[in-house]
Amino acid sequence: MVSNKKSEVFSIQTIDLTKKFAKKMHRGIFGFLRREKSKNKHEEKENVTVALDKVNIKIRSGELFGLLGPNGSGKTTTIKCLSTILIPDEGTAIVNGFDIHKETSMVRASLGLVVGGERTLYWKLTARDNLMYFASLYKMQRKEAKKRVEELLDTLQLYDRADERLEDYSTGMRQKVAIARALLHDPPILLLDEPTLGLDPNFARQIRNQIKELSEKYGKTILLTTHYMDEADQLCDRVAFINNGKIVAVDTPNRLKAMVKEKELVEVVVYRPPADIEKHIRLLLPDAEVVKLIPGDENEGNPSRIKIIGGTAEEHVGTVIDALRQKNVRIGGLNVGVPTLEDVFIKLTGAKLTEDGM
Amino acid sequence: MLESAYMQSTFRSNLSVVWNEIVKNIKTLLAYPTIIVFWAIFPIFWFIPFILQGQAFVGGLESTNFAQITGTGEYIPFIVIGAVLNSYVNTLLYGMGENIRKEAYQGTLDYVLAAPCNKAYVLIGKAISESLSSTIFATSQLTISVLLFGMSITLGMMLPVFFITILLILGLYGIALIMAAFSLMYKQSYDLSESIGYMFYIFAPVRYPIESLPTWAQIFGKLIPLTYALIIVRSFMLLGTDFSTVYLEVIVLLIIDIALLLAGFYLFSWMEEKTRKSGAISHH
Repeated sequence: MVSNKKSEVFSIQTIDLTKKFAKKMHRGIFGFLRREKSKNKHEEKENVTVALDKVNIKIRSGELFGLLGPNGSGKTTTIKCLSTILIPDEGTAIVNGFDIHKETSMVRASLGLVVGGERTLYWKLTARDNLMYFASLYKMQRKEAKKRVEELLDTLQLYDRADERLEDYSTGMRQKVAIARALLHDPPILLLDEPTLGLDPNFARQIRNQIKELSEKYGKTILLTTHYMDEADQLCDRVAFINNGKIVAVDTPNRLKAMVKEKELVEVVVYRPPADIEKHIRLLLPDAEVVKLIPGDENEGNPSRIKIIGGTAEEHVGTVIDALRQKNVRIGGLNVGVPTLEDVFIKLTGAKLTEDGM
Repeated sequence: MLESAYMQSTFRSNLSVVWNEIVKNIKTLLAYPTIIVFWAIFPIFWFIPFILQGQAFVGGLESTNFAQITGTGEYIPFIVIGAVLNSYVNTLLYGMGENIRKEAYQGTLDYVLAAPCNKAYVLIGKAISESLSSTIFATSQLTISVLLFGMSITLGMMLPVFFITILLILGLYGIALIMAAFSLMYKQSYDLSESIGYMFYIFAPVRYPIESLPTWAQIFGKLIPLTYALIIVRSFMLLGTDFSTVYLEVIVLLIIDIALLLAGFYLFSWMEEKTRKSGAISHH
């Protein structure tokens, strides 16, 4: 196996990884004439988005590691820096023992990349043509590539439709081809960025099983970004929460959940809550650790939710219902249960993890 | 684990990248059946305006005034050569930038750039596939010229013409790489391609001899590789000369080629690094 022996324990290690993006400002038609340097540090700071802020993570060899965070938290930027698509502004990362700044080509050879979303392959080509093309980019000789492509088509149950154009495939089948592409050169590390995004439940389950098998049977080191809590809970050995470009916590899903496990959770589904409802309930429940309103989109059939963690659920239920009635808020449902990874994230950051709160 | 990905690129693996890039582009092109109709019919229609315009101006297919400037009275073969070589300018200038833009749009560019192969060979593959479609188009135009206008082509003449066309294409690859670099950074290079395409059309002797241009424009025209390719190929095909007459033009064309290729590769790798730093690489 090709790797730099120095850091074999960790397949991926980021050291103060920082990435900033300049904000795109509209400067008018002749804006390019007015492009001057920021006058002071404060102004400079305002024109920059910090996508990754000194990120430090260590992923062990063979580990299935989840990176969880809401949209825009820095998950994809982390993946892009690790895969050398982006150059970080500060810090570095060691991938399979190779430095992303100095040994770009070796890092690229060590990785397989899967990004969720509709278009990442050539739709006018067949699955076989796509795979043969990408095999050449990984310096595979024709004979070796052909053998490997046949193997992967068979493993991923794509063989029967291998000579059909991808435009005739379902989203789930295209995602299988994307996974086959990542496995072409049999890399020790896989970077999976929202691999089940937009898939129907059946295909999402198939892809999750595939990921589990790649980790357990083939010993791949996998960095998985997702905002599906169940997916991370089900698959990952360890999980890191990322919010606003910063790592908030890293641990196993069970240990993370233990942070709020002993506490009880009350979740109330509400319609059209007033803006001050969160503050109002917090005043009535001083012993609750977290009171959080998670706004929904009622037009999309996704109502808002109020989550209360800590204290005694039995006492909270009555108080919350009274408070909501006082404010004339319609209640759609009420649950008392065990906190999930999302509840841990809310407790740690005060922010919600997903749009739909899954 | 397959270790080929970690190995130094070899001549064979680089050639494989070029070949697979060509195959991919040709297969994608053939997935659109209307392109075949375009290749088959357009070269025929292309001639009609020139014939009608020429007949209206000079009352036939030959002009004595034209002969005084160029040494040949047959203006149709003169223009055909101009059009054939100019078609390489069009496809390479527009095609390369568009190809990179399309890769970014369909989300495949990230995967190409994240692969360990040398990207220069991907670009060479793209450039060759773009020029292949031009060659098919050019062959149709030449065939029509022979059949309809009695343009004489001999095998002995075609070999040096082919050599000069290759030299022209090399220079155009340099410009195409510059277009690809702009496309990577600014997500479109169409306007720049359009401007350069027009400049070539006006300042290079595509439809008229370079002597028709004012002196300052002639100086500008002599910086364009197409100018030299046209002068040399017309000299071979219409005046029956050989390399001994045009060796100076061949040397200048070679120098321009080297300068453009170096500039193209340098600019592309510079822009690639710049976009990887700014984050613009994944935008479309």
